[in-house]
Amino acid sequence: MKHAFIIGARVISQLKGDKRFLALSLIAPLIIIYLLKILFDAIAPPPIPAIPGMMPMPIPTFSASKFILPVSAFIVHFLSFVLCAILLVQERTRGTLDRMLISGFRKISVISGYTIGYFGLATLQALLVITEAVYLFDFDFPFKTICILFLVIWLLAIVSVMLGIFISTFARHEGHVFPFIPLIILPSVFLTGILVDTDKLPVAADLAGYLFPLRYANNIIVTLQQNEYHFSDLWPNFLILFLYAVGLLFLASSTMKEKE
Amino acid sequence: MSNSVQIRSLNKSYGKFSVLKDVTLEVPEGSIFGLIGPNGAGKTTLIKAMVGALKINSGEISVLGKDPLKNSWELRRQIGYMPQSPSLYGDLSAKQNISFFGKAQKITNLEKEVDKILEFTELTGRANDPVRNFSGGMQKRVSLACALIHSPRIIFLDEPTAAVDPHLKQRSWELFKELSRKGVTIFVSTHLMDEALLCDKITILRQGQVLAVDTPQNFLARGKTRIRYEKNGQTHELISGSDTSSLAKEMQKIGLDANIAKIEIEQDNIENIVLQIVNRTEG
Ligand SMILES: Nc1ncnc2c1ncn2[C@@H]1O[C@H](COP(=O)(O)OP(=O)(O)O)[C@@H](O)[C@H]1O
Ligand SMILES: [Mg+2]
Repeated sequence: MKHAFIIGARVISQLKGDKRFLALSLIAPLIIIYLLKILFDAIAPPPIPAIPGMMPMPIPTFSASKFILPVSAFIVHFLSFVLCAILLVQERTRGTLDRMLISGFRKISVISGYTIGYFGLATLQALLVITEAVYLFDFDFPFKTICILFLVIWLLAIVSVMLGIFISTFARHEGHVFPFIPLIILPSVFLTGILVDTDKLPVAADLAGYLFPLRYANNIIVTLQQNEYHFSDLWPNFLILFLYAVGLLFLASSTMKEKE
Repeated sequence: MSNSVQIRSLNKSYGKFSVLKDVTLEVPEGSIFGLIGPNGAGKTTLIKAMVGALKINSGEISVLGKDPLKNSWELRRQIGYMPQSPSLYGDLSAKQNISFFGKAQKITNLEKEVDKILEFTELTGRANDPVRNFSGGMQKRVSLACALIHSPRIIFLDEPTAAVDPHLKQRSWELFKELSRKGVTIFVSTHLMDEALLCDKITILRQGQVLAVDTPQNFLARGKTRIRYEKNGQTHELISGSDTSSLAKEMQKIGLDANIAKIEIEQDNIENIVLQIVNRTEG
């Protein structure tokens, strides 16, 4: 465990020293959410002028809030995955991964170290994204809901870090990370209920959607936006996300190449 | 004297491509052992196999009496490895790099050890600069320091002097000699044939095969001496062995003739000899 903290401290110092990287991972999500705000404002229907003597007609409105939080979660998911995968591929190509392992660090320490290193960044990302979304879209959530929201986005970020480490095993250089984006990350936009309700998907696509961790995060976020929710609706999804993190941890440590 | 490394009939291939073919060699304890071969000979692969970073297809490797794959955890305390590429964190200083890799093992008084190793590798003056600003040769030096921080009994150096300027290169060899005097076994690979003379024993590797193992002196003895002289406007050439007595014998044949205008004596250097061995078996 001490080794994990040593590696974590090194990752944090690298992240702190790389201003462009920090800016990308913190400012990019904020910009994207702001752009979404503009988009949603533009496509929202104009308010219907009230006709005197008549009750205002309830019209089916396009609800931006329904999309914005899952999309925020997706952005954090995507960025954590890509950035972590690239950082780890760099360790591989520069030979520092080999050197760590031959010096006496264990694979599990390397992965835990990266998770610890990303812990801070993921926390910041989750906080910033939620704060901006709540502010821009005037969400009126109770404090409890915001806390759970934070927890789910943060947990998703950790899963993404593990996924990034796992995927980095299959990359010989940074460029190899990119094919995995359309393969793993983009389908999750369509298959996990972020843009399209899962019950409107063909059966096969719906089933495939269960493979993506984003689905469970989305389930939680959707539930949180209902007026009333029970913890019993949330915890199975939390459990699955947690299992994803643990499963990927083991998967990543068993595939991380120590011996060719 | 016992052997620090013992390799028997080692084979390694990537798919159908055979990189190491039936390699057998012994590295005497405390020696400077050179692995010489052109690019692509399999030097890096062989070193990786010895430090336990590679699975082999068949054969036996024993490093300090242990199997590098099965006993990798015990061995890590006793072996040092300097990879071919610097393998450092560019954003960290020389000192931070060394102490980071040092922390992988329980080293008592790590900070003091780091200072000691910085001094040994003559890096003290630039200890706190980020290594991304270092020249290639200086990065190799930091890399060497990282490999030495835990005072290993044997150290594997993969082309430590490739693309290093002549001055640093000479200093590097002085460091290796000093380590060797302290009893550390040094296994060093190089594609520079002239470095052979600096080793106690050398192995010539080509296309994954060991072509020859011997001391540099014995390799030199395999060389020839060419004596060219001009007599009455004609050039003659005699060839003798490399040792002085056979040279003297040849010289006697010429005698001290007043008609000899010019004598040239050319001895094979280690570079020629090694290249001849490498080329002879080619094709
Ligand atoms: N991971 C690998 N996969 C396939 N071929 C490899 C791999 N590593 C090395 N090789 C091949 O093995 C041969 C020996 O490589 P290497 O040990 O790096 O040689 P050297 O260090 O002597 O230059 C080369 O032809 C190289 O292309
Ligand atoms: Mg090599």
